Amino acid sequence: MLQNVDIDIHHLTRVEGHGNIVVNVSNGTIETCEWQVPENPRFFEAMVRGRHYSEVARITSRICGICAVGHTLASVTATEAALGIEVTPQTRALRTILKHAENFDSHTVHVHVLVAPDLFGAPSIFPLIPTHGEVVVRALRLKRMSHEWGSLIGGRTTHPVTVVPGGFTSLPSARDLKAMRDRLIEAVPDLEGTAETILSVADKLPAFDRPTEYMAVHEDGQYGLFAGSVETILADGDRARYDIKDYLDITNEFMVPQSTAKHTKNRLGSYAAGALARFNVNYDQLHPEAKRIAEKLGLAPICTNPYMNSVAQVVECVHAVYESVRLIDELLEVGIVEEGLVQPTRFASGISAVEVPRGILYHEYSYDDDGLCTEANCIIPTNQNHGNIQADFDELLPQLIAAGASEDEMALKLSMLVRAYDPCISCSTHYLDVSFVR
Amino acid sequence: MRYLIGIGTYMGLDDSIGLRIAEAIAERGLDRGFRAIELPGNLLDVLHYCDPDTEAVLVADSACMGLEPGEQRFFSAEDVVTHKTLEGISTHEGDLMKVLEFARELGLELPPITLMGIEPASIEPEFGLSPALERRFEEYVATAVGFFDGPGA
Repeated sequence: MLQNVDIDIHHLTRVEGHGNIVVNVSNGTIETCEWQVPENPRFFEAMVRGRHYSEVARITSRICGICAVGHTLASVTATEAALGIEVTPQTRALRTILKHAENFDSHTVHVHVLVAPDLFGAPSIFPLIPTHGEVVVRALRLKRMSHEWGSLIGGRTTHPVTVVPGGFTSLPSARDLKAMRDRLIEAVPDLEGTAETILSVADKLPAFDRPTEYMAVHEDGQYGLFAGSVETILADGDRARYDIKDYLDITNEFMVPQSTAKHTKNRLGSYAAGALARFNVNYDQLHPEAKRIAEKLGLAPICTNPYMNSVAQVVECVHAVYESVRLIDELLEVGIVEEGLVQPTRFASGISAVEVPRGILYHEYSYDDDGLCTEANCIIPTNQNHGNIQADFDELLPQLIAAGASEDEMALKLSMLVRAYDPCISCSTHYLDVSFVR
Repeated sequence: MRYLIGIGTYMGLDDSIGLRIAEAIAERGLDRGFRAIELPGNLLDVLHYCDPDTEAVLVADSACMGLEPGEQRFFSAEDVVTHKTLEGISTHEGDLMKVLEFARELGLELPPITLMGIEPASIEPEFGLSPALERRFEEYVATAVGFFDGPGA
């Protein structure tokens, strides 16, 4: 058993944004065990103040290049609640299909590009190209499909342009929807292949259980995405239901010394949001095919192993495909109708809760009588998971030490744990740094 | 199809230049004969626009090239060596060179891809553009649009 451990992972790789893992054990005593987030606040809530309601979603979409659809839907839905706008069933169905596309896209990248290297014992996806090329190509194929799936509804996948308060500025044609439906069906074998791949390396997912509270949007009759209420479930199955308007009372944001990002808590000291939380809360609403894949992958509610979040993402991908096919069939049966935008009936305050890939995204806005935003608040899902990651660390590290893990093994298990939550901390830089050779 | 793809991040001052160029072109309806795409976040999405039958792709991005801040240059991936030592590729780790390396290793057939690099003055975590790039912004927009009228496109 190691008596001294020194782990300092500065900017953990294969997560979205910057986070650090710092562990120090001295003479058998754990002195430091921290998940740190050192990124700057970005003040989007201040940026939208004074902006017209028609502009707000376009700005808040820029909070994230991955969850741009989620931020757009959260913004538009909260604005519609504030403005007394009731969207049509067609709008709601198309937005649901769009939301599925985004979750599918993000999950596909996370499982294949960010998590799979750990399961195959590789430092990144690059070494997998010669050894598991078909898996990498399949991942790109699925990702491409989700990109076109989202673009069909949102105009484009990143920062969608068609989704506005009151409805859509343009609609997909019935022919394009039918073609997309066919592509979704054609993707089923790739999803089955993904499940087989995960199954082949399932023993690489650490066996670590720590019961916590799981929080997700819940809708009676369908897998919760952006309407209904918020539900939490504990490991013993105890459920609690909350009105979305009480989101501040169930997130309870607070500051911690090691992080610039706020933590949250509800019934326990922390809670989990994301695919596994949704799976645990909304298992009954999953499509039967998604349940079948879950069973095949050994995932059953209430799962308390955070590493299984990636498996839950695969299950959600299956659900997203089958649910989108069902919704497209319903839309095609009725026919796509040009509806125009539903207009505001009041100017007040509104709140939304939307399930984005990493968990619940809350937006709240207030508008004055001119339709200008006077107040805004956004609580992102990754922040809601930081406290749970830290609580997992606090329990996992002593277990690893007691099991005689090496320092490298500890670093890997802690890194994999963070990656399992699929944190999307914020955007870093992508600039090129080059010299000319010709 | 021909694409102008702006990449970068709005939160990195001049690292947003590619996004801003694409955004300005799309907003003003200048993307005639090509499509302007603003692509923050997931750079793997670049590959979705790189079908073999795509005629041309111009990627606008900030690039530390050893030039004066604000200077702009067209180049291809083969014209340069990268100084970044990136182990992997993810949404927040990697640059276009890494994405192209990924595509090459996978054996993907890519269309002609030209980079429009603009030397940043600063990539500090702030919104906006530095004065050096702000001053020349209209020039960048015109240059990007003009690229699609030239022989390179």
